[in-house]
Order: sequence, then C-alpha cells, then structure tokens
Amino acid sequence: MAAQQQPLPNSQAPLDVYGGDEVSALVLDAGYCHTRAGFAGEDVPKSVLPSSYGSLKNSDPDSTTTTYRDIFGDECLYPRDGFEVKNYMSRSESVVEDWDAATKIWEHMLIKRLQPDRETRPVIKNGPSEPTADGEGDVAMEDAESQEKPLAENPLLMTEAPWNTGKAREKAIEIAMENWGCPAFWMSRTPVCAAFAAGKASALVIDVGGANTSVTAIHDGMILKRSIQKSPVGGLWLSQQIRTMWDNNDPKVNVIPYFMIENKTPVDAGAPAQARLRHFPFEITQSYRAYEEERLLTEFKESVVEVWKGPGRYLNPGNEELVKSQPGRVFEMPNGWNQMWREQRYRVSEGMWDENAALPNPDGSKAQTIPELIKACLGAVDVDLRPNLLGNVVVTGGTSLLNGFNDRLNNELMAMHPGMKIKLHAAGLSTERRFGAWIGGSILASLGTFHQMWISRKEYEENGVGIVEKRCK
Amino acid sequence: MASHDIRDVLNLPAEGTGLRPTKKPKTSAPRPNLKGLAREVQSLGGDNPIAIVPEISTFKKRRFGSRKPAARWELSPFRNSARSDQSLQLRHWKKETEDQSRATSQPQSDGQTPGENSTEPAKKTDAVDDSNFAKFNVQVDVPQYSEDQYNSNLVNDDWTKDETDYLFGLARDFDLRWPLIWDRYDYAPQLLGNVKEESDVDGTDSNTAMIPAPKPRTLEDLKKRYYEVAAKMMAVQKPVQYMTQAEFSLHETMANFNPVSELQRKKFAQDALSRSTDEAREEEQLLIEVRRIVARQQKLNQERQDLYRRLDFPPTEQDITSFKSSAGLSTLLQNLATADRSKKRKPILDTNGANTPGSAQPSAQPNSTPVSESRRESIAASTGGHRDSIGGGERPERPTKKGSQQQQQQQERKKLTEQEEQIYGVSHHDRLPSGPTFRYERINKILTTKSNAQHQRITNTLAELDIPGRLNMPTRSVVEGMEKLLGSIGILLEIRKLNDKIEAEIRLEQAKKAERKKAAGTAASGSEEANTSAEISSESASANTNEAAHTTNGENTGSISAEKESNSEDGPTSKPTTNSTINGGERHELTNGNDAADIEQAKAESGEDNNIRPTSSGHKRSASVLSGVSDKSTKRLKK
Repeated sequence: MAAQQQPLPNSQAPLDVYGGDEVSALVLDAGYCHTRAGFAGEDVPKSVLPSSYGSLKNSDPDSTTTTYRDIFGDECLYPRDGFEVKNYMSRSESVVEDWDAATKIWEHMLIKRLQPDRETRPVIKNGPSEPTADGEGDVAMEDAESQEKPLAENPLLMTEAPWNTGKAREKAIEIAMENWGCPAFWMSRTPVCAAFAAGKASALVIDVGGANTSVTAIHDGMILKRSIQKSPVGGLWLSQQIRTMWDNNDPKVNVIPYFMIENKTPVDAGAPAQARLRHFPFEITQSYRAYEEERLLTEFKESVVEVWKGPGRYLNPGNEELVKSQPGRVFEMPNGWNQMWREQRYRVSEGMWDENAALPNPDGSKAQTIPELIKACLGAVDVDLRPNLLGNVVVTGGTSLLNGFNDRLNNELMAMHPGMKIKLHAAGLSTERRFGAWIGGSILASLGTFHQMWISRKEYEENGVGIVEKRCK
Repeated sequence: MASHDIRDVLNLPAEGTGLRPTKKPKTSAPRPNLKGLAREVQSLGGDNPIAIVPEISTFKKRRFGSRKPAARWELSPFRNSARSDQSLQLRHWKKETEDQSRATSQPQSDGQTPGENSTEPAKKTDAVDDSNFAKFNVQVDVPQYSEDQYNSNLVNDDWTKDETDYLFGLARDFDLRWPLIWDRYDYAPQLLGNVKEESDVDGTDSNTAMIPAPKPRTLEDLKKRYYEVAAKMMAVQKPVQYMTQAEFSLHETMANFNPVSELQRKKFAQDALSRSTDEAREEEQLLIEVRRIVARQQKLNQERQDLYRRLDFPPTEQDITSFKSSAGLSTLLQNLATADRSKKRKPILDTNGANTPGSAQPSAQPNSTPVSESRRESIAASTGGHRDSIGGGERPERPTKKGSQQQQQQQERKKLTEQEEQIYGVSHHDRLPSGPTFRYERINKILTTKSNAQHQRITNTLAELDIPGRLNMPTRSVVEGMEKLLGSIGILLEIRKLNDKIEAEIRLEQAKKAERKKAAGTAASGSEEANTSAEISSESASANTNEAAHTTNGENTGSISAEKESNSEDGPTSKPTTNSTINGGERHELTNGNDAADIEQAKAESGEDNNIRPTSSGHKRSASVLSGVSDKSTKRLKK
C-alpha cells in the first residue's frame, strides 16, 4: 500500500501499468464506530465522523410537540441539555438500522463536508475543523429535498458488510439515486475493499473492527458467501471485558469520563483520587455518558491493553508469572487515580483467542474466538483455495492495532496449519489499518477498468432498485 | 592597487620572482569570473588570493521567450464501450489537444463552467471518446444451447434443464471461476409443476422429484455437468473428426473429466492441510532428502554423459574428403604436429611459468611429480586440442570443464573411507615410476636379479612349498605376499648357506678333536666339553637354535612333522626332514607370527588354481605352534 502511494519520479512512472482514471467519484464507508467519506483516488478519507450522532431535544418553549434536531460530528458531542447520543448503525450487525439518520449523516458528510463551496449552495466555509458561526457544530440539512440534486456529478461507491441484506442494499441505491442524483453507483463489500487495499484480489480478510470481527475469504475480488464468519469479538467487546476487569479489580475502578472532571490533583499509585466533579444544571443522559465512557475505554485499550504474543495461550502455566515479573504500564484515570497494570492487560484481550480466558460478560453471552472463526471460514471454502488464502491473510480494522495482535495471529495460524506458508499482510500505518476498507474502495473507484462496472442512472431507472442485487454480487 | 604596488611603496623586494610565473595562471584563472566589488576585493589580495570573497550566485535566466503557456486541461466526458448501457458518461480531466484548444481559444471565457461543458457533448455525441480501458473487458466463452439441442443431446437424469440453465448462467456471471460458482450455487426449483412435468418426462422416481429440496451439489458435480454439456456442444458444432489438435485435446479433457479422482485429490489435499507439526517436519525432511538424491543422480548422469562423450570419437562437421588422399593425410599430420607443439608449450608455461622451454621435452623431467603431472595434463589438453582441430567445436569449454571435473574428483577422493579404498583398490604412493608396469614383472625382477644358482635354489624352494614360480592371479595382495615370501626365501637360503658352512666347520673340529683324542689318549673332561659347546654357541646363535631344536626337543620335531605331513598332503614333494625342520625353525624365528600368516596366505592364494587348497586355519595353527616353539627354544638357549 505504502509503495503504491509513493509517487514515482516522472521518468520512471510506468504510464501503461497505472490503470487509474479518476472521474471524481466519492467513496463512503460506514461502520458502527466511524463513518468515512472521501474522494476516490486519495489515500485517506477526507471526512471521518463517529457514527454516533447527537440528537438534541428542541427546547422551544412555545412548541407543543417535542422535536429532535440531529447534529453530527464529534466536535458537537459535548454535554448539553436534553442531549441523546444515538447510532444509526446496528451494534450486532454493523449494518444501517436507522435509515433516516443514515441519510442525514451521509448527506452531511458527502455534501457538506466534502463539497462545502459548490456554487449551487450558499457559500459556507466550514471545513471539518472550523466551527460554524452558531456554535452548534454542523446542522443537518433539512432542505436537502429542495436542492437541485446535490451529487449529480459524482459517482458514488459505498461499502457494506458482507452479510448486508438485499433490502438494505436496495435502500442505499435508492437514496443515492433518488435523493442525491448520483450518475452512477456501486456497492462493494468491506472485506473485498480491504483486500484491494492490501493489493490482493484473493485473500483471507480478518477484519477486527469496533463492533464485530469478521473473517471472510475473497476469491478474485469476490467474497465467498459461505465463508463469511462473524463474531462480536471486537473493540466494544473488549471494552466490556475491561469494564468487567475494572469491576472485579481491588479496589473497584470507577469509570468517570473526562467531561465530568472539573479539576484534579495528582495522587500516588493506588491512592484514592482527589478530584472535584463538575455539576451540570441539567441532566446528563445515559447515552451520552456511555459514549464518553467508551472514549475513555478506547484510550485504555490504546495505551495499556496488549495481546499475549504466544507461543501457546496466555493461560498456559508459567506465562502469567512471566508477565508479572515484567514491567507493567501505568494508566491514570481522568480523576487522577492511577495504577500499574501488569498481567490484567493481557488477560482482557485473551478472550479473543481462548474462550476459557474470556471474562464473563454480564449478559452471559459467549463470543466465538478468532481462531475458531478462521477455522470455520477455511472449512467453508474449497480445499484448493486454502493454501493460497493462508498465504494472503489480510489483517484490517482498528482493533487489530492492539500491541502483539499480529504476532499472536501468526502463532495461532502456524499452530493450526503447520507446514503451510502463512503470510500476514497488515498495513504498518494505523490509518491504513483503520480505513482499510475505505482505501480499497478509493482504489477501486479510481481505476479505469472500473468504469464499466458502475450501475448507471439509466440502468437504475430501467431496472429499479433490484439491479443492485443483480450487479453487485 | 595591487600587492606589488604596496611592496613598491614599502620598498620590499618583489618576493619569489621564480615562483611568480607558476602562480600567476592559478590566480588569474578565477579572476574573469568575478565582477564588480568582488573583483576589487580579489585584486587587493594580489598574488595571495583572499580566502573569503563575496560570491554572488547567479541563477540561470528564465527564458520567457521559449516558454510555452501552461498546458490546458479540460474536464472531458467519455464513455466506456465495454458497458452494456452506453448512456453513462463520466468525466475526467484530460490535456487539451491542439485543435480543441484552438477551437476553445475564442470562447475561452464562457466555455468554462461545468454545466455548459456537460451540455456540449450532448449536442455532439459522436465526439465523445471511448475509454482507454474498454479494451480490457474480456469475457469467457460459455457454450450456448437451444431447447432442441438440449433435448436431443444434453438430457441427464440428475440434472433438469432449469438447473443446467442456472449453472450456465452462474458460469457466465462469474467467468467460470469455479470456487465462486460453487459458493453462490443456490438452486431452488422455481415451480413445482415444472418439476413434476420434468419428472414425468424423465420417467424418474416421482417421489424424489416431488420434493423440491435442492440437492447439495459438490464442486465436482457442477464441473462434471458443465464439462459434459460443453464437450457435447463442442461436438455438435464441429464433429470430432474435423476438430483441430487444440480443439480436440480440449474436447478430450472435458469429456474425460473424472469427478472421483478430483474428489480423491482433494481428500489428499485436505489430509496434507491437517497434518501435525511433527508430520509436517518429517515430510519436509524427506523432501529435502529426495531433492538431494535427485540432484546427485543428475550429477551422476551428467558425469556419465560426459564420459560417454569422451569415449566417443569426435564427430566431424567438416568435410573429410580432403584428408582421404595421402597428400591430404600428410598435411593433416603436419597441422596436428604444429598444433600439438604450440599447445604443448603453452600450458606448461602457464602452470610453472619459470620453467625453461626445454623442460617441455617429455624426457627432460622424469623426477618431480607435480611438474610431470602438469605435463601429463598438458598433454591431455593438447590431445583435446587435436580433437578440436578436427572436430572444430567447444574449444573454450574444455579447460573449464576439465578443471571442474578435477575438483569434483578431488572432492570424491576426500570422501573415501579406508574400507572404500580397499574395495576400489585405491592406493597412495609417494612416488610412482613413470609409465605402466605389470605386477608380475616386479616378481620377475626379484628373480632375474639373482644369480643363476640362486635362482635355481629359489625355484626349488618354491617348488617345495608348492607355489608356482609364475603367479596365476597377480593381485596386489598376492604380489605383496609373494614379494615377502621371496624375501624370506632369500634370507632362508642365506642362512642355510651359513648353517652348512658352520656345520662343516663343526664336523671338521669334531674330526680334529677325535684325532687329538686318539693322539692324546687321555679321557676328556666334562668341563672342556662344556667349553667347546659354549664356544660354538657364541659362534652362531642361529645354528645353535637349530641344533637345539633338532637335537633336544622331541616335542618340537613332533609338531613340525605334523606340519610336514600337511605339506606332504598338498603335493608329493619329497624333501629332506632336516631341511624342513630347519626351514620351519628359521622362518619363524626370523619373521613374526603375522608375517608367517601372510606367507601362508600367499601360498594359499597362489595355490588356488590347484584347487587343493589347504585350510588356512590349520596352517595358521601350525605357524603359531611353531612360533611358540621357537620362543621356547630361544628361552632354553638363554638358560
């Protein structure tokens, strides 16, 4: 990936090999945690927004009915009155649940954020970093319908989870064609895009995302439907594990997000926190607090949690003692309380690999481990493909950035298939890992040979929404 | 104002006038480059150039005159002819071509908005160009069949037409990528009535046909059906006998598709995938071993080929008719001689450059082995050259090949163990006589160097031992044994001669004594006798032993006579018993047990042809007994 993006000097650039032919297409990749949008041909999405959005109760005193105003972007997710945080994606499936909100947030990203100064619109220069005049962040476009089709010049490529339903796909093309007037549309599966981002047409894609972990076999740029394996073992599951660990910790760790802290004084490790909490004149909703707690947990995951690299499982005798003898990591909570974490930071992630090591979830559900997913996935593809798939394992998704993840995965694969050539392809840059599917979509949509694939507006008008099922296989 | 002006003012002598002319060109060289203030500063330094000079870097001037205006790019619409619908017009940025830019140069101001651009191509749709990437759209050729063709050729009990159609649709959709076809294969019979109808037509069991449950198809089932249909359609379109070679082989491959063997192959692959670590490692080791064996075999084959080529006479590519006449032959000979001479000299000079050219003569250096070796090589090379001059090929390859071969041989030599050396008869010599020799000649040489009488005696002894004078099977060990035997015989004969002489002396002395006795008439004292015997023993130890063995020890004689018996069994040779006893005693005193065994063996081997081969163990025993006896006898002597 990195090599692809590095521009060659003009004298060396192989003009006939590079098959790019950009038609200013847009790429949209929606996930449970983040939604990414940008122009095809670029290496990172221009606009990355949390899929969680704010829903603000309209506190107009003279209105009798309560209306909600949706606001998008993490810069406007701050404590306010009557403020709920919602997510338009489904937690268990990573597919769109709330289509109205989805349409709004997508419009916000594709139209307002990517093309802020089109002549047809009133000029407002609001780059992603620039707060708007009213301080409300970005306001949903209620007048979308009144616009002359906002995306009439840009073909749109969307990604979807491989288990997406036909209904959802039809809804997506409908929105793109009817609401936005796209000249052309395409839907591509996330694992396929992730494989393209790694430069592979055939690959075993292990996508360890926020809400889900999926293992999918790709053959010649198409998913093998029978091989799709999905498990909730992902970022949120790991957060739950951390919560359980904190609850069982001695002393119990209180999860107090940053926004609640007014000031704090540093304390020694293990000493009780000395901090003054902020008081708000209004009630903080549970959803907002959960969202903020999740941010804290994410920080903990990024800085403390590690994966036992192997060989063997973490619970094998001796491993825990070894870890205890090694230096741990200190994590300071927003209120100043801090502690050194040693063996626990391996323990929380071990459930991804070893079912017995998983801490019990409050709802009692058990998640399939990653090795099991891989095994089931490979079991569902033709024997002839398996060696090739094992030689092209593509690792993507933000949670795969956990320290030691790739080593462990490699060890597990080696143990499962001794004597096979196993090669992991995990991008070194964290952005490439987080936005793997988007980057693959960006590559795909900027290819010259891809022009013949687009579903054109005329085809849509002739065949209706069903065409997406026929074409995007 | 230059430095010499200052010197002038200060009345200093003009320094180093001799140096000046050399320095001047150095300092004056950079001068013309400097301008303005810099030159003034520089000239202050005079002949000693000032280190720091303000340097004004000048950039290359832009040549505005030849500069082209910036390339114009336009957002031009295009279509892709590979698309099934041609309505889609995408737009990309493209460099404006000459005529376009000229055309748009006048309405430059108004032709820029994208809206107008998009309307423009609508007016002149024929001007919209095709995408460069359309040509990459290739599609696989999936056979087609009509209803009639299906009914007449392709009916199959297991497959309905619907399902076959479905399969072919998938094959077309997925460009015959079988894993995908199998993955997406999800056939559900659409109409129950349809199925019923078909079951009636087929006449199959209606019970199974009624159940619309789709059969799970394996990848092999799908392939089999597809290849069956494809092969049949191929044959329908073009009868088998008219097919080209390629078509026919394709047809054969498809018609002979065997799903069972495919399934078995996949089972094997599955097993290979689910190996344990140990199995995998073992297999890897085996594979390495196999590779090594194959490589070795290849090397061996190549060496053998090389050898064959060497043994073969060189093929001639040239016309040899010119050499058929006697005149032609003589010129050929001359050519060869000159080539030989020129070749012979070169390699020697190469290998030991300091050598005089005179050493090239083969007779000049018979001694030092390395040189003679190199000479031999050079001769070999030159003979190679002979061939080349006739065959006219591969000359440059020769030496390198030879070198590598030699290296290989050296490597081989290192590898040989002692046992192998014995098997292959490899022996190491410090020095080798020049030229080949026959082993029996070595034996003959020993014999011929002796005088006639001695020769006669040796042959007599050999005859006594029942060993033929000329070896029938002169192997190395036999010849060595024979040499040893002959050496021993030589010594034996020598000693016998001595013995005879001493005995004669003793007899003479005894006769003298008897005479003296008679003359003196006095009785001899015991002490005197003892004295004489001591005198005798001091005279010849070996003679004494013989005497002792001969006279005092009955045991000894008994055992010797046993040996004598065994000897007499071998052949009806008559030999005096005294001789034989002396012989035995002497021999074993002189040579140790091992040597004795060797001689016995040599004897046995030489007697092979007679087929009356005495058991060596018996001989050995007798030998050991003899040696033991001889030990005893020596001990007794010491007493």
